[in-house]
Order: sequence, then structure tokens, then C-alpha cells
Amino acid sequence: MFAQVGDELIIEGHEVGRPRRVGRVEEVRGDDGGPPYTVRWDDTGRATLLFPGSDCRVVHLTDTPSGTEE
Amino acid sequence: MKISELALREPVMIGGDATVADAAALMASSGVGSVIVLDGKTPVGIVTDRDIVTRGVARSYPPDGRIDGLMSMGLIAVDADHDLADLVHVFRDHAIRRIPIIDHDRVIGVVSLDDIVVHVTDELSTVSRVLAGQIMFPHATDEARAPSPD
Repeated sequence: MFAQVGDELIIEGHEVGRPRRVGRVEEVRGDDGGPPYTVRWDDTGRATLLFPGSDCRVVHLTDTPSGTEE
Repeated sequence: MKISELALREPVMIGGDATVADAAALMASSGVGSVIVLDGKTPVGIVTDRDIVTRGVARSYPPDGRIDGLMSMGLIAVDADHDLADLVHVFRDHAIRRIPIIDHDRVIGVVSLDDIVVHVTDELSTVSRVLAGQIMFPHATDEARAPSPD
């Protein structure tokens, strides 16, 4: 997995009552954009370290459709 | 109090291509209820004894199946130099029971919610002993410090 600061990280919920989680990459600690990442979670506002699993996807800054950025 | 001051348990880790039986045997020999699953050298998930029962045995997942088929994907971790209060927030925010502790991007231990309960109970016990002493001997220290009438 590759990520850079500012990318969005999404973890899909697999169980009933466990919603998807969305966060923003604040720090990339691995080599060449690899994990672990410091992620600030939208729902709690707090940051944790994340070693992402295969249920996690990255939305890169450059993936944002044109015209939607301010 | 810093997380690094807790008595951390050594992390027990296994490759994702290991079998369920291997993971169960490792848990048994290590005396732990969970193992961190690696992809190469990178942690990618965690498997607990409960996962083996509920996701494995209950669904007839074969004992020689890959352990990463039963794991909870992704690991939420915390740096060892953070405060214990931060750890409690992470337990609450993420509804998890075990958190790997990281030092220089290396997993140096795992803290469970049970560990926190034991730690808090120990602290309360200490406070309780001090309090009991003060209740039973309320003026002991005052008398010791009181100036002699002579």
C-alpha cells in the first residue's frame, strides 16, 4: 500500500453496527509511502497509528475529481 | 503515566500463510490469547482465540487453512511514549480489546483492556491502603510531628 500525507484512508465496516471509518493521513512512517501511517479519524478527531489491512483503501489527493477542490 | 511504563507483554507474531493449527499451537505455547499476523515483516492484522472459535470452528474453517483468513484486518497501534490516557481513548474509540505498542515502528508489546483494568485496580488498591491507614490512625502523623511540651 502506498499513501502520502493528506490522502484519505477508508476502512469498510464488515460487521453489522460497525460503520466504515474514514481518516486522513498525517504522517507516513514506512519507506516509499508504506505503512504504518498516522491517521486522524474523522469520527473521533484523534490520531492513531495504523497498519492497514486489505480492507483498507487509500484515496489519493490526485484521485479527487477536478473541480471539487476548493 | 507513559505506556512504556506498563509491564508490556512480548508480542507474539505469525506469518499470514501459517495455518490455523499453527496459530493455535503458538497461542498455547506462548500463553497468549492473540497473535499479530504479518505479511512479510509488516503487521497486517490480529487473530484472537475467540476468532478461531467463532470464525473458524463454528464455520467449519479447516485447521490447515491460512490464519489470515480469520484475522481482523488492519491494526490500530499506539506509540510507547504516549500517555496511558491516550490508550484508553483508543480502546474506546475503536471498540478493540488489544492494542500493539510501537517503538521506532517496531511492535514491542501488546496491551489488552484487561491489562488496563489490572493496572487501575492495582492503583486503586494502593490508594485504598493509604486511605485505610489514615482512617484507622487519623492522628498518627500529627502526633509524630507535634512539638514536645517540654
